Amino acid sequence: MHLLLAHAVLLLATIVCAPLSSQDPVAVPTKKPRLAFVTNCVAEFWTVATFGVEAAKKEFAVDAVVRMPPNGTAEEQQRILEDLLAKGVQGIALSPKDPENMTALLDKVAARAVLITQDSDAPKSKRLCYVGMDNYDAGRMCGQLVKEALPNGGAIVVLVGNLDQDNARRRRQGVIDELLDRSHDSMRFDAQDATLKGGAYEIRATFTDQFDRQKGKAAAQDAMVRFSDLACMVGLYEYEPPLILEAVKSASKLGKIAIVAFDENEATLQGILDGHIHGTVVQNPYEYGRRSLQLLSELLRESDPTKRAALLPKGGFLDIPARQIRKDNAKAFWDDLKQKTGKK
Amino acid sequence: MKKLIGIASLLLLVVVIASLLSRDPETGTHTFLTAYNIENLLQRIGMFGVLSIAAMFVIVTGGIDLSIGAVVCVVGCVLPWLTRDLGWSPYLALPAALLLAGCIGLWHGLLVTWLGLQSFVVTLCGLLIYRGLMRWFTHDQTMGFGSSGDGLRYLATGRIQVTATFGLPVAALLLLVVAILAAVFMNRTVWGRQLFALGRNEEAARFSGVPTRRLSLLAYVLCSLLAGLGGALFVLDVNSAQASSFGNFYELYAIAGAVLGGVALRGGEGTVIGVVLGAALMQVLSNAINLVADSTQLEFAVVGAVILFGAAADEGVRKLLSRRRAS
Amino acid sequence: MRRPLLEVLGIYKSFPGVRALQDVRLSLGHGEVLALIGENGAGKSTLMKILAGVHRPDAGVLLLDGAPVTLPSPRAALDLGIALIHQELNLCDNLSVAGSLFLGRELRSGPFLQRRAMEHAARAVLLRVGLDVDPRRLVDTLAPAQKQLLEISRALLGKARILIMDEPTSSLTQIEAERLFAVVGELTAAGVGVIYISHRLNEVTAIADRVVVLRDGRNAGEINGVDATNDRMVSMMVGRSLSGVRRVPHEPGEEVLSVQGLRTAAWPAAQCDLSLRTGEVVGIAGLLGAGRTELLRALVGADRVLSGSITCGGVLLSGHGPAVAAAAGLVLVPEDRKQQGLILSMNVRENLSLPTLRSRGVLVDREYERELTESKIRDLAIATPHGEQRAGALSGGNQQKIVIGKWLAAAPKVLLLDEPTRGVDVGARAEIYARLHDLAATGLAVLFVSSELAEVLTLADRVLVMHEGRIQGTLGFAEMTEQTIMTLATGTGAA
Repeated sequence: MHLLLAHAVLLLATIVCAPLSSQDPVAVPTKKPRLAFVTNCVAEFWTVATFGVEAAKKEFAVDAVVRMPPNGTAEEQQRILEDLLAKGVQGIALSPKDPENMTALLDKVAARAVLITQDSDAPKSKRLCYVGMDNYDAGRMCGQLVKEALPNGGAIVVLVGNLDQDNARRRRQGVIDELLDRSHDSMRFDAQDATLKGGAYEIRATFTDQFDRQKGKAAAQDAMVRFSDLACMVGLYEYEPPLILEAVKSASKLGKIAIVAFDENEATLQGILDGHIHGTVVQNPYEYGRRSLQLLSELLRESDPTKRAALLPKGGFLDIPARQIRKDNAKAFWDDLKQKTGKK
Repeated sequence: MKKLIGIASLLLLVVVIASLLSRDPETGTHTFLTAYNIENLLQRIGMFGVLSIAAMFVIVTGGIDLSIGAVVCVVGCVLPWLTRDLGWSPYLALPAALLLAGCIGLWHGLLVTWLGLQSFVVTLCGLLIYRGLMRWFTHDQTMGFGSSGDGLRYLATGRIQVTATFGLPVAALLLLVVAILAAVFMNRTVWGRQLFALGRNEEAARFSGVPTRRLSLLAYVLCSLLAGLGGALFVLDVNSAQASSFGNFYELYAIAGAVLGGVALRGGEGTVIGVVLGAALMQVLSNAINLVADSTQLEFAVVGAVILFGAAADEGVRKLLSRRRAS
Repeated sequence: MRRPLLEVLGIYKSFPGVRALQDVRLSLGHGEVLALIGENGAGKSTLMKILAGVHRPDAGVLLLDGAPVTLPSPRAALDLGIALIHQELNLCDNLSVAGSLFLGRELRSGPFLQRRAMEHAARAVLLRVGLDVDPRRLVDTLAPAQKQLLEISRALLGKARILIMDEPTSSLTQIEAERLFAVVGELTAAGVGVIYISHRLNEVTAIADRVVVLRDGRNAGEINGVDATNDRMVSMMVGRSLSGVRRVPHEPGEEVLSVQGLRTAAWPAAQCDLSLRTGEVVGIAGLLGAGRTELLRALVGADRVLSGSITCGGVLLSGHGPAVAAAAGLVLVPEDRKQQGLILSMNVRENLSLPTLRSRGVLVDREYERELTESKIRDLAIATPHGEQRAGALSGGNQQKIVIGKWLAAAPKVLLLDEPTRGVDVGARAEIYARLHDLAATGLAVLFVSSELAEVLTLADRVLVMHEGRIQGTLGFAEMTEQTIMTLATGTGAA
């Protein structure tokens, strides 16, 4: 309640102060554009994106800050956005935590700064553009990997951080729809306790761990106990495949239970090279960071409205496609990643 | 003693229910009772049990430590940093990380005993400070050992094969050692006796020549030290720590385990066995839900309801007994 | 003649083990100041609490303007216009003056406080007692005398007709006290009756129209104000024949405790010097609040010592706590047995062994603990079924024996006792006296505080009388009488 009140007051303050503190957000700045890159939680994934942001700062001569909500909640994001506006940031690239319910907030942000979404979209809001991949498509790519790993079908368990996040829901749905050979419909949603069986594949359960590693590992262990015929586990969040790998390894079930991953955690990549993980679907967070900032800087530097509209990609979607990584291309991908993050 | 019976029977009840519900309809086995699941459970109880014993030391003095989760985070981030980034031997890094945790406890103790601040305030601020510092220190990077902690990881993930199918987790053995040491300390040493005296009536203890300040200090040091040990076990177990979320809310699990096990929040009361049973109950519950429920959404609700039921039943039986005695 | 404002007839009141009041009578006229005096424990505070509705009498009648009344609660007493002004002022420090005046009877309109109206009304009633402060000021910032006047105005605001003032000047300076007397004078001129309780006999002489003396819960006499000399009052207060058999004083040995220039936080302006020799039993007499407890607490380091030196058994103690004091042989049996002396929820064994518990290796030496428990239960005749009995379940006398026993185990050189027999029944009391005499005979130095003169006279070889934080005088074995002690204790005798 207090939090709500505080937010309301803050919001009110930003609205009241608006005419004083900022001019037309899309006016051409004489100085470097001041941009912000807002993530939806704290993760290695976003660290890679940060390197993309850093590269873009030099490449496109912009000022940019990266903000990560430590607990990964929508409330924190709202606070962060309000604070950024108060600071006079002109362009924001946001991975919205809860797009359905953030529309009003995002529209307010869009009125005061150039707003684009990245990684996760908020199509109902007035954001100008979405930079990223289609999580549903990526989920289907992940489903293809499962099919490769289990050509004869079997029981599958999915681990995901939580299910209130749009990208998580779509990723999971993509996996399910691909495995059940359903039509392409990114708006579909199966509840956590729905029975999901079709053809040779059955998704037995979806476990959420609320970003608690220990809980994630426990869920993987418990899944193996609960389903003696478990054939494959899918970890949809970056930190989850290594936990699954640990659990499967300590249960001496390597080779018996296939692991399919998402994202490019180092342990995941090592697992693929070692042959313990069948493959992973990777996004390109580096490019999320770099291309988001590039787009924002171009938009802010262009004063002519028609030319500016022309800068936006078709359909308001700048596709940075996901890729499937298997044993054959893992080494090359990893080397490239190391080079980009300066970890060589 | 009555409290012990209460928590033990509640634990037994939950175990029985979990076993019955976890029957696999196809094979007819009770998955909850498989050797593999019991191993996993014992390992988790081992790790969370250490935290609950940590919480007990401070609660017995009448204080509270809300920074346990943050200390877990500190050790979880620092230990991999020492081994992987600085290349220290894990056998040197672990004592160093524990020393750091002990220093945090010393700091809490000094603020509480010498400056007279409330433990709630000191440790609440500690919680925020340490987690914030760790996020800054790690640049929000995930900390992991790579292969640098391999020998040490045996502490958390190792199994001592007892039969062909069952291996006793080293973490559980570690808890056993910690619990025995803690029980001996609390019940058989002068310090333990004085700690209970201090928790029950600090003024009288002081008038009796008990060095109350030094003892409180000791309690805070032991608490953070054990929280640090717990943090080491957690990071060794999952091999990945993210400063913003690692050990989040673990102080609540720790305190809940301790209080469930009969440690009175007003101080001066508690048994180590009870605390271990309390911590076990928490883990059994969440394991049972993973094994049985179609959706884990209700997990916290179930844990809360069972604890409340336990507390209410305990109190109800006590009232009934005293009424019968009175009449 | 008008009927008296208040009449108290044949009041009886007992507490478990104590007959506090027996057939007590008094009457208070309109505009009269009635002083109520007596030794500690004479029944003044019980009577006062009955009048204020805190306690209910077992028997007896209260007449207000001739009509019988019952006072089931403090609220009822207030509603009838009887207001008690406590010794420890009953104000919330963090409220404003107006806020504390109206505490519990705030002026409201609906759920909202009428701050303005309250401040206005506060100003008027403050002026009546001559207190010229802003009603918005925090109570915290007022001087003690101002707080006292604020308490009185609080009573007046409640339309009090009878003010009961308990030691109102205990924290006031001379000038402040005179100001208070002037206010009392104005109030009585307006018809308010005042019952004035004080240990300061000089004040009583100055202010009282009539003096009622209580002794052992009974009326001991009544004197008109003009006839009230200190001597008459003291002899009426003490009045009884000396109890107990006079005995031969112990033969003291060499000095074991030496205190010089000791200042405590409670009485920073007063200095105490004292010397204690082995085998000596010394009493400290004085009125409540004279600084006796504070002196003992400072000696063992339970309270902070501002300055001065304490040497016990050749060891200079400074910045010490009870543990260090005990190591030097200086131990205290504290005043509040249940809160400071014992851990009631622990058993007899654990309490007895707490100060001297030792280890064998790293573990508790249970053999030592067992022997200690058995020997102390036997030596001090502690009536407990076994050592595992919860200390809280024992009687006061047996509890006190445990506290004494746990310190005897520490082989002290000097034993300090604060009110050693408070709440202890007669039998156990005699046992404790006998035990203390035995201990003195073996060379232990005993220094005890007692508010019961009979106890001081029974136990002490000599007595130190304290008044306002300093030792007003020392009386040797031959000089000690209740009269000489009371004279010094009330501050009327010279040092």
